[in-house]
Amino acid sequence: MKRISYVVVALLLFGATSVKAQLIDEKDVTITMDLQPVLQLDMTTPDQIEFVFDNINEYYAGITHYGATILKVSSTVSWDLYAVGRSSGTNGAGFWDQQIDYGSGNNANAIPNLPLSLLELKQSQANAGATAHTGTYSDYSSAFTPTGTASGQNSLYVNAGTNTPPTLAGKYIGGHAGVTGIGDFLPGGSYLTQTGTTSNYYYSIDYRILPGLPAIFPNAYSADGATAQDIVTANVAGNYAEPGVYTMYVQYILLEDQ
Amino acid sequence: MNSFKQLIITCFVLLSFSLVTQAQLHCGLVSFEPNTSESAMLTFDTPAKYQGGITINGATRLKIRVNNKNIVDPLCSWNLTMLIDNNPGAGTPISEWEKLILYGNGLGQNPLIQSLEIRIRNACSTSPNDGIYQTFTLNTDIIDIIAPLLPITPAGSCTNNVNGPGDYIGNYDEFHFDIDIRVIPKFAFNPGVFQLNLRFHLEENP
Repeated sequence: MKRISYVVVALLLFGATSVKAQLIDEKDVTITMDLQPVLQLDMTTPDQIEFVFDNINEYYAGITHYGATILKVSSTVSWDLYAVGRSSGTNGAGFWDQQIDYGSGNNANAIPNLPLSLLELKQSQANAGATAHTGTYSDYSSAFTPTGTASGQNSLYVNAGTNTPPTLAGKYIGGHAGVTGIGDFLPGGSYLTQTGTTSNYYYSIDYRILPGLPAIFPNAYSADGATAQDIVTANVAGNYAEPGVYTMYVQYILLEDQ
Repeated sequence: MNSFKQLIITCFVLLSFSLVTQAQLHCGLVSFEPNTSESAMLTFDTPAKYQGGITINGATRLKIRVNNKNIVDPLCSWNLTMLIDNNPGAGTPISEWEKLILYGNGLGQNPLIQSLEIRIRNACSTSPNDGIYQTFTLNTDIIDIIAPLLPITPAGSCTNNVNGPGDYIGNYDEFHFDIDIRVIPKFAFNPGVFQLNLRFHLEENP
């Protein structure tokens, strides 16, 4: 009797434990998303911007080219944008390249080494991502100073002829140095979707060169805008810019917030 | 005599348990045809794609077959759900896509699961969510296509929640679902390669 009961219990247990759950089927769809970083700087500008100083007024008042360069940004990542003055280094790192030397070229007071920072920029829209900056000037949005008032607020950033980004003390067009995530970048976006009259993704750039008389370029300043780099300060009293043809270039660099 | 009584009681208990569990089976077959895995690739490489998004209509098509048993069971019905899986075993935060590769410094936010939008549709609009883009929020979130435990709506009704036996050959408009996917990342996320798994789950109702 006992044996039979064990067999019955075992059979029933087997029946109970081998019951089937509901019928099920499954199907998987794997979705892969490739978010490629896009940093796009659309620039509208002449191949060459010429500043020809051929009368006294132009030396005194300088020459300004308004809206000579238009910068339009589209970026999928947080970004910084800066301008840096560069040359091929014929006259040394950080100086314009002298292509032609007018006159005898024998005057010791005529200096051929013109600092790249003598070029002044003015951006149409203030830098909205630069509260982290520690220098005097965070961008190039200030109006050009009147002649007779030397200032480094618009002088072009230069770093010994390299394209190294400015530090927290330097000037950026958009964003700034550092990756704290606060006040040192502009967020991803595009000029294509901006409305209104101003945009953090659209900049009109004015250029000015003010030689002064004598031609010492009083608005040439160091990257932090604190140290004058005009011809006299950088050399000695009585020096002035040697007449001639000079060239340099401005490099605009858009990069992921760094 | 006493042990015989115990045996009878034990048999009764086990038999009733066995019957209760067996009673869950109402259908003869429940399947996707085919049920092979599929994949979809979304490549964002221009600002326009980031802004406008990428939509893949018919990223996958679900063809369903639910057969009754040979001896017809009037309680045979089914439900269809979808579940999101972001491979949390790889350390993926619960609300994000699984990161495969990061481009750049990765200081921003990885894509959120809710950026994936799913739309289900068929000609009879049998799902109550037919034609509506829906989103998941967290890993293992479930969205019903045909919810579980609904009253049986027979095939051929061409109405909401058809869940009786049938198949995509005889009732294509009710047993076939197009799945559309859309992602509009805008400029909110880290660049990189990210992945999610969308699992469709077909099950007979108990």
